[in-house]
Formats: sequence, structure tokens, C-alpha cells
Amino acid sequence: MRLNLNLRASKTLHAYIFLTPVIIFLVVFTVVPLLFGIYISFFRWNMLVPPSQAKFIGLENFRYILLQDERFIPSLLSTFYFTIGDVILTAVIALLAAVALNSNRRFRVFLRTIYFSPVITPLVAVSIVWSYIYHPNYGLLNELLSWVKLPPQQWLTSITAAMPSVIAMSVWKRLGYYMLIFLAGLQAVPQELFEAATVDGASKTTMFRRITLPLIKPTMLFVLVVLTIEALQVFTQIFIMTQGGPVDATRVTVLYMYDTAFSYLRMGRASAMAFILFIIVLIVTFVQVRLMREGGMNTYTN
Amino acid sequence: MRMRSFFEERAVDLVLLVLGVVIVGPFIWMALSSLKTAQEIAAQPLVWLPHIPQWANFSYAISKLNFGQLFVNSLLVSTVNATAVVLTSALSGYALAKFVFPGRGLIFILALSTMMVPFFIKLIPVYYIVKTLGWVNSYLGLMVPHFVTGFGIFLMRQAAISVPDSLLDAARIDGCSEFRIFWQIVLPLVKPSLATLAVFSFMYHWDDFLWPMIIISKESLMTIPIGLNRLWNPSSIIDYNLMMAGATLAVIPVLIVFIMAQKYFVKGVMMSGIKG
Repeated sequence: MRLNLNLRASKTLHAYIFLTPVIIFLVVFTVVPLLFGIYISFFRWNMLVPPSQAKFIGLENFRYILLQDERFIPSLLSTFYFTIGDVILTAVIALLAAVALNSNRRFRVFLRTIYFSPVITPLVAVSIVWSYIYHPNYGLLNELLSWVKLPPQQWLTSITAAMPSVIAMSVWKRLGYYMLIFLAGLQAVPQELFEAATVDGASKTTMFRRITLPLIKPTMLFVLVVLTIEALQVFTQIFIMTQGGPVDATRVTVLYMYDTAFSYLRMGRASAMAFILFIIVLIVTFVQVRLMREGGMNTYTN
Repeated sequence: MRMRSFFEERAVDLVLLVLGVVIVGPFIWMALSSLKTAQEIAAQPLVWLPHIPQWANFSYAISKLNFGQLFVNSLLVSTVNATAVVLTSALSGYALAKFVFPGRGLIFILALSTMMVPFFIKLIPVYYIVKTLGWVNSYLGLMVPHFVTGFGIFLMRQAAISVPDSLLDAARIDGCSEFRIFWQIVLPLVKPSLATLAVFSFMYHWDDFLWPMIIISKESLMTIPIGLNRLWNPSSIIDYNLMMAGATLAVIPVLIVFIMAQKYFVKGVMMSGIKG
């Protein structure tokens, strides 16, 4: 009994020893920053003075960005535009590619390597490569257009084409990652179901709609959640390819927040922007996790 | 019927191969352009193959980017971060999975909920903390804020749960210390998850741009993405052959590592997907 108590005390002690560094890091670099970020969004602060000397202005930052700022709401709309385009295209193409690869033994490993290669390459490097491909005069894309007798386009420098161009590049970059996740989901679908359906004379389309889709729903919802959260935070490729232009056509919220904070030193206002985007991310996540529960994620998590 | 499905399959093959060409196309174009002269880059109509491969572009890009330094910095930052994340995650994941103690649920929920906090909302506060610590323009500032991740803790807890309790108890009865149990019994058993986490963490930091850009302005501390961005200025005339040489230098090492350790990456992604 004594020994047992000692053992338990020693285990508790060791658990705390193992966890202490982690707790310190989580508190210093996540909990405190999150709370501080929300706190400072009620202040006017330029980071040149300590936060204790920042001026409390209540909801002024929120009032300004939501009602007066002519660029914040459009930046949210640009973010949604990017997110919707990026999520739908990536998810659909990744799913179709995964389904096709799953039933194709010949090229599976080879193509999987090919499709995944952009995922591991540095985003800054490939954004530069794509900027060159999109170049109106020396770009590869306009050359390809000229083959089919189409006029050259101003890809990244036209207000209407800039965002679709950035989306296309982003889909190219992340497609392989989500395709692999779909492949994992597809490989968990029992083959007997398809054999039974074939015996019953079901067509391929019917099998896809009635067997594959329902069974990979959990995977699909997982992909949608991760993709959406990722897309709402888009920054790097836009920073490199368009800097938010032309005329704010691609100025997404994180980019605008970055400029507000680090170019104009309006830390309070930038924090208010971050807070609003954070709420949007949370709402989207909760809605999708809700859907995921109903979709039966449990069968996959364990 | 057989005939039709044969053609169907060929059609699908064709679509998949075309998609493959679209996906590798930019890399091939990048590599070709990195070997062109400035005249070939600007030529109308477009020149596909460099007449004489300009290997000198690479030595010029290496010296202009200070690529050796960038590479060493990227390697250092990514390796240290991956190691730290793996260690802290394994320790805490194990403690959360196998020890019963007051506050366990709370700590686990804390770790889980930090996964929901996107980086952009922490950006200004973490920058201020790092600035206050005097870590702006230092390796510490680049690395330390990323030493612990909620995802890592979650992944390692899931892995540690499957370690048999009987094994741990047997070791305790034999008088093995808790640290040795962790190091010699638990760590080897959770190796696959550790490797996955290490690969993910390494990739993340090799690629990371926003944080290093904010924290680093000293050339000697720049990582590859920051170094590339330093030479990149779309509003002026760009030496595209040089930029492509720089991009090739950034892309080739990871591509080689990936092709060699492919199975490994693939397993990691699939695991992360299934485990959520």
C-alpha cells in the first residue's frame, strides 16, 4: 500500500516534470499571445512604447475597420473569393485524381510522386516561378495561348484575372497533399462492397455515388476543414506574386493586417483585424466539425 | 463491354498523365530558364531550350543570394525546430497518455485548443514578446516560439496510448527510472509517429516565410525563402534566368530528399489525414 502510494506520487511528479516545459511554451507563445492580441485590439498602440502606455480607445478599432476603412471589408471579400475558389477546385480535383489513381495500378506510384512534388517545394520559390510563367511578355502561359490563337492575357496584372491566377497556382501547390489524404480514405473502403455491387450490375457512376462518396464523407469533411482554414490565412503566394494588387484585387486580410501592423505600425487596429478573421475561422471550423460529427468521423479517428 | 472499359481506362490514364504534365511543367520550365541567357529569356517568340546551357547562372545566383549561408540557416532552423518539437511532443504526449494526475484533462484540452489558434492572431504579440526578450534578428527568435505545437502533442499522445502498460510496469518493477522508461522503451515504440512529426515539422520550417521575414533583417540569418524574396522585386526589371537559378537551387534539394524518402512522406500525410 505504501509502495503503491509512493509509486503514484512519483508518477504524478514525473508527469509534471515531463509536462512543465510544454506548459511554459504553450502559455508564453500561445495563450498569452492570444489574450494579449485580443486585449490590445482595444488600444491605439504602435509597439514603440510599452503596451502599458498604449491608449485605450474601446471599440474604436473595430468601428473604424468595419465602418470607415475602405479596404478592410474588401479584404475579407477577397479572402472569401480566394477561399471558395481554392477549396472547391482543390477538393474536387484532388478527389477525382484520387479516385482515378486508386483504380489505376499502372501509374499509381509514379503519378503520386509527380502530383505530390509541388507540396514539398518552398512556396516562395514556386511563387516566383509562377510569376514568371504568368509574365505578360516572356511568360510560358501566353506562349501556350498563342498556339491556340488566343490573345495574350495580363494574368497577375489585371484586376479580373489576378485572383483566379493566384488560385490556380495555389491549387497546383496543394493538390497532391489532399489527393493523398483522399487516397488514404479510399483505401479504407472495403473492396467487397464494389464486388457485390458489380454482381448486382451497378454502373461505375452509381458505385461512385452510392458507395464511394458516402464512405469517404468523413475524409472529405476533414479535407474541407483543413483546406478552408489554410485558405482563410493565405499570405505568402500573394505577397510574392501580386503584393495585393492590382488595385487591391488580391489584398487578402492577412496581407492587409501585415501591412497595417508592420508598415503603418498600427498594432491595435491590426489586432482587431486579426481578431475578426479569427472569429470567422472559428465559426467555419465549428460548423464543419459539427457536420463532421454527423458524418460519423468516429469510424475513422479510431 | 470489355472493349468499352478498355477505352475508358485509357482515357482516364490520358487525363491523369496530362495532369501530371501540368504539375511538373513549371519545374521543367524553371530548370530550362535557369540555364538561359538574358537574351533568350526576353526573346520573342519564346526560346524553349537554352542554346548553350549557362551554368554560370548558378554560380552567379549562389554568390548573389549568398546561397551557402541561406542553406545552412534553413537546415539549422528546420533541424533544431523538428528536434525540439519531436522531443517536447513525445514527452508530453507520453505523460498525457500514460500518467493519471490532477489537471491532466485540463492540460490536454489546453494543448488541443492551441491547435485552433491560427498563427496570424499571435503574430503581433509573439513579435512583441520576442522583441522584449531581445531576440529580434537571432536564431533564438527564429526558432524558440515554435518549439511546442498542439498538433505534435496530440499526435504523440495518440501514439503513446498504444504502448502496452504491462511493459511500463515491468520496467518499473525492475527499478527502471521514469526517464529511462521514456527514453528506452516508449521512444522506440512510437518511432513511426515521431518520424512523421519530424518530417512535417522540418517541411514546415523549410517553407516558412511570414515569421522569419518579420523577425530577420540581417543577411547572415536569412533562410532560403527570405533570401529569395530579398532579390525579388516585381516592380523593377528582373533577371529571370537568375531568379530561376535561385528557385532551382531552393527546389532541387527537397525534391531529391522527397524522391528518396517518398514512401515515408506518403505514409506521414496519410496518417495525418486519418488521425485528423
